[in-house]
Amino acid sequence: MTVSQLSVPTRPRTWPRVAVVVGVIVAITVLTTLPALGGVNIDLGAIARNWGNGSERIGKLFPPDPSILPRTWKPLLETLEMALVGTAIAALLALPLSQWAARPTNPSRSRIVVRGVLNVIRAVPDLVYATILVAMVGVGALPGVITLVLFDLGIVVKLVSEAIDSADASYMEAGRAAGGTQTQINRVTAQPQTWPVFASQVLYSLELNVRISSILGLVGAGGLGRLIDEVRGFYRYGALSMIIIEILVVVIAIEIASNVLRKRLR
Amino acid sequence: MTVLTATRAPAITRAPSRPRRLGVRAAQLLVGAVVLASALHLDIGWSDLAQLPADLRHYLGLMFAHPDWSRLPGAFYQTWVSVSMAWVGALLGVVLSTLLGIPAAAGVGPLWVRLPLRGVFAVLRAVPEVIIAIIILTVTGLTPFTGALALAIGGIGTHGKWTYETIEAVPPGTAEAVRAAGGNLLEVARWGLWTQASPELMSLALYRFEINVRTSAILGLIGVGGVGDLLTGYTQYRQWDAVGVLIIVIVVVTMVIDGISGAIRRRIMRGARTRDVDRSS
Amino acid sequence: MDTTAHGPEAATPASGPWPIRLTDVTVRYPNGVVGLRGVSLAIEAGEMVSVVGLSGSGKSTLVRTVNGLVPVTSGTVQVGPYRVDQLRGRRLRHVRGSIGMIFQGFNLADRASVYHNVLVGRFSHTPTWKTLLGLTSREDREMVMSALDSVGMLEKVWGRAGALSGGQKQRVAIARALSQEPQVMLADEPVASLDPPTAHAVMSDLRRVNTERDLTVLVNLHLMDLARQYTTRMIGLRDGELVYDGPASSATDADFEAIYGRPIQTRDTLGQ
Ligand SMILES: Nc1ncnc2c1ncn2[C@@H]1O[C@H](COP(=O)(O)OP(=O)(O)O)[C@@H](O)[C@H]1O
Ligand SMILES: [Mg+2]
Repeated sequence: MTVSQLSVPTRPRTWPRVAVVVGVIVAITVLTTLPALGGVNIDLGAIARNWGNGSERIGKLFPPDPSILPRTWKPLLETLEMALVGTAIAALLALPLSQWAARPTNPSRSRIVVRGVLNVIRAVPDLVYATILVAMVGVGALPGVITLVLFDLGIVVKLVSEAIDSADASYMEAGRAAGGTQTQINRVTAQPQTWPVFASQVLYSLELNVRISSILGLVGAGGLGRLIDEVRGFYRYGALSMIIIEILVVVIAIEIASNVLRKRLR
Repeated sequence: MTVLTATRAPAITRAPSRPRRLGVRAAQLLVGAVVLASALHLDIGWSDLAQLPADLRHYLGLMFAHPDWSRLPGAFYQTWVSVSMAWVGALLGVVLSTLLGIPAAAGVGPLWVRLPLRGVFAVLRAVPEVIIAIIILTVTGLTPFTGALALAIGGIGTHGKWTYETIEAVPPGTAEAVRAAGGNLLEVARWGLWTQASPELMSLALYRFEINVRTSAILGLIGVGGVGDLLTGYTQYRQWDAVGVLIIVIVVVTMVIDGISGAIRRRIMRGARTRDVDRSS
Repeated sequence: MDTTAHGPEAATPASGPWPIRLTDVTVRYPNGVVGLRGVSLAIEAGEMVSVVGLSGSGKSTLVRTVNGLVPVTSGTVQVGPYRVDQLRGRRLRHVRGSIGMIFQGFNLADRASVYHNVLVGRFSHTPTWKTLLGLTSREDREMVMSALDSVGMLEKVWGRAGALSGGQKQRVAIARALSQEPQVMLADEPVASLDPPTAHAVMSDLRRVNTERDLTVLVNLHLMDLARQYTTRMIGLRDGELVYDGPASSATDADFEAIYGRPIQTRDTLGQ
């Protein structure tokens, strides 16, 4: 095989399509960068103007200021607790919901309703939930936990129900032939059958939760975010970078631990 | 129950005893205890919790019973700002991650290039976009451009990883063929890898846009503009009927974009499969 | 079911094997394909009957009408005291509880334990809320164990179903059906995925079920020698129509050629 043998057959037929695709991308890009239409104003001049002032501040990120650390422990703990509790509640809810949202485990039409509701839940971004919930129930960990539960439900139920949909479900027929109800079949056979996918997705959502719950405090929902908001307000950039490093270490540690656990699930 | 077992002890007494799996039990108990302890330690008034359903019903009523439809044009305009941010951020992010992701793939770049790049991806993956925006806005100001840049830089973390993983998943045959024909690194990347990996990468790029649509609304909350900005204002002044309209617009626009983008992605991947079939015939 | 062994369940099972009677049964699938055309058939209680025919001739459709997995378009299906074609929901599930079924692909949940797979057979005798809470009566556990014991799989009860060999899986599937304490046993090509020695072993198990437990057995086969060796009566299907009904052991090669609509080939027999 040579280069020319490989590329000759596909090339001539694809160029009109490529032209259309490039054309569409360029068109959307032009539309989204026209400030007059509300697009993004790519203002490199502003960067040049702000550079002196701004870069000096960014420079203050270094060195990180360890004196903030003692004050971070409590909010860090709260961040981790919110992530954990949110994941746990979501997992309990997602177990039946993902079975109701998949065709083999729920042949009835109610599946479509469950899916629709979850699509709506998933369409609202996490911090938007947090903002609204803080306004509803007040500042604190509660709006944070609810936000994480809603976020997790969106992803876990989607991914697990899609996994159930695509997996072989011939054992369902045996359960039906034995005169079982769908609920019995789901509980005794479908549940162990989908357990590894489920556990893996729950761990994944825990990873994401730690990352999200560290910023939920920016809108008043508890955790490290509140401290971030404070040090940013006082332009304590050394402290800010220390907190960022802390988040980084925790998030990467959780990611590694969760990857190890997930490998063992298979 | 049959001739076979009639003379023997009942099967249930001869059945092997259920394995204890003490380790698993202990782990389950531990996780349960830690979750419970966390829940109790969290600063949540458990009496408030009983109040929660009533509260939710009350506020959902305020938001959706009589939405203030006069806010609709404004909501759509700011949503467009957010979507623009998402698009520009996706475009920049995908270009950057592709450039950085290709040399980070095993079999393309040397180890001393790969490792630092992967380290950068891991770090960027761990830092929330909001924090990136907070840092860069000191230079770029509170503008949608900041949002787009934050999305682009933040996106490099996950998208760079997806890029090198996709390239590593390409069967090695094609790249070897190009190398055997005397191709240099660039030619291997263009002819050996790009042709094979591009459908998947294009599909992932669209997916990045879908993710950015959600994240851009979040970035608005720190003031870079778009629908998040509007939401902060409405919730601060507790204009629930306006919040309701905003939520409806966010949900509808996000689901429409997901639907279109998802359909295109499925087509791209289907096209990739048919082309494979063409080639093998 | 005269020799139910131990425990309080001895009183529950009804009445011995059931006859099966199909009258002018036609099955048209939603996509328009006709699976069965006007099949009438009477199987006596306690018979062991094979259904033979080429792939696509309607064998699976036929056995699935017996437990209502495939609804009939017209005609009647009488199984024991029940009109299966008229039942739905709870009452259909109740009847299915008395009809065991095994499948070509075993239809086990691979990641679940052997125990849980066999427990499926107890569903129709257990209220859903009890299953949901994971409450299993001692009686049910006893029946699972003795069903596994009677197919020689008791040792594997706590293992994963997916870790078993093909023959072992089919034995677990038979145990699942036996734990129902059924009056009728249906089998849809139970040995088509097995190697010849295992196939013979599983067919012997089925015959043992027929004689020792006194069940009516209806088994789909596409291999003529298995039909001759293990069953007493044979039903031949071609294109959804009943084209043969007679004794199995004395069926001639010509009879099989008539059922198949083509000369006999080597792949129509299993060999030893
Ligand atoms: N669920 C179904 N939907 C539509 N057609 C079906 C279905 N199941 C079987 N058929 C068709 O019905 C005919 C008989 O099939 P089947 O009973 O499975 O035959 P056999 O078991 O003898 O191979 C075939 O033409 C088959 O394609
Ligand atoms: Mg069949």
